[in-house]
Amino acid sequence: MLEHGKIDSKQAILLMISMILPTAILIVPAITLKYAKQDAWLSLILATLVGLLIAWLVVSLSLRFPGKTIIEYTEEILGRVLGKIVGFLYIYTFMRIGSGVCREFGFFLVTAMMPETPMIVFIIIAIVISAYAVRNGLEVLCRFNQLFIPVTGLLVIAFLLSTTNMKLTRLLPVFDTGLLSIAQGAVSPIAWLGEILTLAMIIPYLTKPKEAYRVAVISVLLSGFILMINTMESLLIFGPDLANHWLYPTYNAVRVVSIANFLERLDAVILMVWILGGFIKIGVFYYAFVLGSAQWMGLKDYRPLVLPAGLIMGASSYFLFGINIVEYYSHLPYHLILPEVVIPLLLLIVALAKGKGKKSEDEAT
Amino acid sequence: MIVLLIIAFIGIILFEVPGLIKQKMWRDLVAFSIYLFIGMALSIPQVLGIILPNPSKAIEVIIKPVSELLK
Repeated sequence: MLEHGKIDSKQAILLMISMILPTAILIVPAITLKYAKQDAWLSLILATLVGLLIAWLVVSLSLRFPGKTIIEYTEEILGRVLGKIVGFLYIYTFMRIGSGVCREFGFFLVTAMMPETPMIVFIIIAIVISAYAVRNGLEVLCRFNQLFIPVTGLLVIAFLLSTTNMKLTRLLPVFDTGLLSIAQGAVSPIAWLGEILTLAMIIPYLTKPKEAYRVAVISVLLSGFILMINTMESLLIFGPDLANHWLYPTYNAVRVVSIANFLERLDAVILMVWILGGFIKIGVFYYAFVLGSAQWMGLKDYRPLVLPAGLIMGASSYFLFGINIVEYYSHLPYHLILPEVVIPLLLLIVALAKGKGKKSEDEAT
Repeated sequence: MIVLLIIAFIGIILFEVPGLIKQKMWRDLVAFSIYLFIGMALSIPQVLGIILPNPSKAIEVIIKPVSELLK
């Protein structure tokens, strides 16, 4: 096996949460509010339900093939040639999300905090630190994450502090925008929650793979919940019409908090979550990309690939996304529907039809 | 800039290749070279200011019907 480390369920839950949340808290509220307006919270409930379905799909597929990652069992399900093609698609997807996160990471820091610094500086720093974590294996990545995950709790505190500026009447009229708008608003949170797909690369390295269902469900529910809190925050403070014109409404919502002229400038909270979470998020997709490629090519070790893979991700973060990142945000969800929903569903159907992987499940029960 | 990039490439090669040769992991060495080559092919043109065709645009054309449906 390529990876010798093992992680327990708690670590996996925390890893999945910080893999979904960091970019979602800043980017998703704007897109959801644009479509669903004051009903954005309904969109997020819908998205969490669909996210649970995706989680169930991915986990039940993975548990049919114990000890194998998604790159390996596609080959077993579809045969050698077709399996390699689908495997390549997943490697590309991990690389694409990873480099997209690098780009978002650098872009936010440049636009919000340090406009004079070139973006490539932030991207290189992020990739070098993640490369170090990835080279040291999954366990190191998880422990790094465990150390810093409590920072995410600050988001909830920031929400509680900003309640003074909120008006519940901004949620009215409820269900006025119609079912279609709510569904449209749900698309991008679904794409983000569907990143739980990466769990398919990690399940073989859990100490108790049986608990993977619990891991997936808890991480999707918690991420969906924190995401909803964040969207509600900007919605209740600014109302739908103001908030949807900003690129980062959550950031602006936290900035207006001012308690007794003393507790101010809480934007540092968002920044902390963004920077620490950004490293983890880049690290997870970097890891999935490198491990996936090593398995795809049948290597003995994935470590030699880490540095060149980082180079590819850094270069693609400029190359794939062009200048206009806003346009990229609105297209992104549709790129992800194919690998997150359609292919796992087809794989599960084919596996059921061919009766593959069934044997191991019978043994267990 | 291009000099820095080439120094980075040489650094990566010096860091990984001796260990690979010592352990006789030829398959890994080939994979390493392929990835390094892709990385070079993507990064050097950008430093020189050459714009490469973007695969995202091709995917956008394919998924356009779906995204239009929901817009």
